[in-house]
Amino acid sequence: MREEILKKILIYAGGLFLLAFAISPFLWMMTVSFSTTHRFLVEGGFRFTWDNYVGIFTQSQFMSYFGNSLIIAIVVSLIVSLFASFAGYAVSRMRFPGRIAIPLFVLAMSMFPQISIVGYLADLFGKMHLINTHIALILPYIAWTVPLALWINMSYFTQIPLELDKAALVDGASRTKTLVRVILPIALPGIFSSFLLVFIGCFNEFLFAVMLTSSPAAQTIPVGIASFSGLYGETSWGMVMAASFIASLPLIILTLIFQRYIVQGLAAGSVKG
Amino acid sequence: MGLNKLFSQYDNREVRNAYMFLLPVLLVIILFILFPVIGTIYNSFFKVLDVGGGQSTFVGFGNYGQFLFDAQYAPRFWESVKFTMMFTFTTVIIESFIGLMFALILNESFKGRGILRTVILIPWAIPTVVSAVMWKQIYNSSFGFIKWLMVTFGANPSVITLGDFQSAFWALVVAEIWKTTPFVVIILLAGLQAIPQDLYKQGQIDGAKMFRQFMKITLPLIMPVLTIALIFRTIACIRVFDIIYVLTSGKWGTETLSYLGFINYTVDLGKGSTVSVLTFILSFLITLLYIKFGKFGKSIKA
Repeated sequence: MREEILKKILIYAGGLFLLAFAISPFLWMMTVSFSTTHRFLVEGGFRFTWDNYVGIFTQSQFMSYFGNSLIIAIVVSLIVSLFASFAGYAVSRMRFPGRIAIPLFVLAMSMFPQISIVGYLADLFGKMHLINTHIALILPYIAWTVPLALWINMSYFTQIPLELDKAALVDGASRTKTLVRVILPIALPGIFSSFLLVFIGCFNEFLFAVMLTSSPAAQTIPVGIASFSGLYGETSWGMVMAASFIASLPLIILTLIFQRYIVQGLAAGSVKG
Repeated sequence: MGLNKLFSQYDNREVRNAYMFLLPVLLVIILFILFPVIGTIYNSFFKVLDVGGGQSTFVGFGNYGQFLFDAQYAPRFWESVKFTMMFTFTTVIIESFIGLMFALILNESFKGRGILRTVILIPWAIPTVVSAVMWKQIYNSSFGFIKWLMVTFGANPSVITLGDFQSAFWALVVAEIWKTTPFVVIILLAGLQAIPQDLYKQGQIDGAKMFRQFMKITLPLIMPVLTIALIFRTIACIRVFDIIYVLTSGKWGTETLSYLGFINYTVDLGKGSTVSVLTFILSFLITLLYIKFGKFGKSIKA
C-alpha cells in the first residue's frame, strides 16, 4: 500500500516537472512577445501590447519568409511522399536483385552530415545561378528527407498482406495500378506520417537554407528569424519573439492535431533503423 | 553461367518495374547526396579562394596537414573536436536519463496523461532556430529570465549567464536537451508499450517491488530501444549547427565541427570541404563504435 502511494507521488511530481519543462520556455516567449518592453524583469512595468505582432506583419519581410517556407515544405513533402511510396512498394513487395542492398545504400547516404553536402552544392548552384531560388532548397531537401520517408513507408507496407497484391495482379492489374488502387489507400496513414515528418523537417531546416539563399525572396523562416536578431542594431526582442511564436504556431497545431501519426512515424522510422 | 542462374530466379519484367519504381529515389540521392559528398572530398585537396567560380590550386593533403598538425590551424580544429565531443556526450547522457524518466511516467495510467503526451511534443515541433532565439532571450546577461532568477535568489548581480565558456557550454546543453528530449521520450515510450504486460503480472505475483521490477524487467527490455535512441541522438548531436549559430556564433570556445566547417566555407571552399570530410569521418567512427557496443549489449542479454 505504501508502495502505491509512493508511486502516485512520484508520477505526479514527475508529471508536473514534465509540464514545466515542456511549456515554460514557450510561455516566456509568448509573454515577451506581448510586452511593450523586453526589459520588464529588470525595470518593471509589464504592459500588454499587440504592437510586436502588428510590427512583424508591417515592418518586416516576415510574410515573405513564411510564404517561402510554406511553398518549399509543401512541394518537397508531396514529391517525397510520391517517390517514397513507389520505392517503398518495390522494396517491400517485389523480387529483384538489390532488394536489401538498395534500402541500406539509401540509409547509409542519409548518414552524411549536411555540412559535407552543402559546400559543394553552394559552389555548384552558384555556377548554375540557382542560389537564392526555391529550387536551390527544394532539390537538396528532397534528397535529405527521402531516406526517412522510405524507411517509414517500408515499415507500413510490410504489414499489408501480400495476398492483396496477388489478387489484384491475377485480375490483370499492373504493378502501378496495384500500388495506386490497392496498397496506397491502406497505407495512407503511414504515408501521411512520413508526409508530416518531412514537412516539419523542411520547415525547420537551417544550414542548407542559410548557405543556399541570400535574400528574403527565397529565404525561409529559420533564416529570417536568425537574421532578425541584430539586424537593426539593438535587437527588437518583442518582435523577434512575436515572429518566433507565429512561426511555431502552424507546427504546434499540426503536431497537436496529428500527434498519433507523428509519434507512429518517428517510432517506425527509428525502430526499423 | 553462375550469374545467369542467379538472374533466372527473377522475372525480367518484374525487375525492370522495380527499378523504375526505385529510380526517382536513387536519382535524387545520387545527384544531391553522393555526388556532392564526392565533390566535397575532391575539393578538400584544393585551395579555392572564391566560392562560386574562382580559380583553384591543387594542394594535395595540404589542407589536412594544416588542420591536423599545423601550429596555426590545428589547435582550433582540435579544440572544436573536443568541444563537439563534450557537448554531444553531456547532452546525450543527460537526456537519456530525463527521457527515460518522462517515458516511464507517460507509460503509467493517470489523469492528465493524454495532455502530457501532447505537451511533450511542443519542444520537438518548434523550429530549432526559433527555440535557440528563445533561449538566447532567456539567457541574456542583462534582462534574461535566468539572470533575474539567479539574482532574485541571491546571486551576485554581475553573474554572467551567457558570455564565457562555462555559461555558454551549459546554455547550449540545456537548449539542446530541451529541444531533443521529446524525441527520446517518443522512441522510449514506443519501446515501453511493446513490453508484454504479463511480465509485470508475473512480477507482482512474485512480489517484486517497484524498483526491482524496473531493474529486472523494464530496464533490460528497454535497453535495445534506448541504444537506438542514443545512436540517433549522438549522430545528430555531432553535427549540431543551428543552436551554435544563433546562441554563441562559436564564441567563448563553443565552435563545433559543423560550425568550423561553415566558417571555413566562407573563406576557402577547399578548407571548408576538408573540415567537412573530417567531420563525417569522425561521425562514422562513432557510429561504428556504437554498433559494436550495441552488439555487445545484445550478447549480454543472450
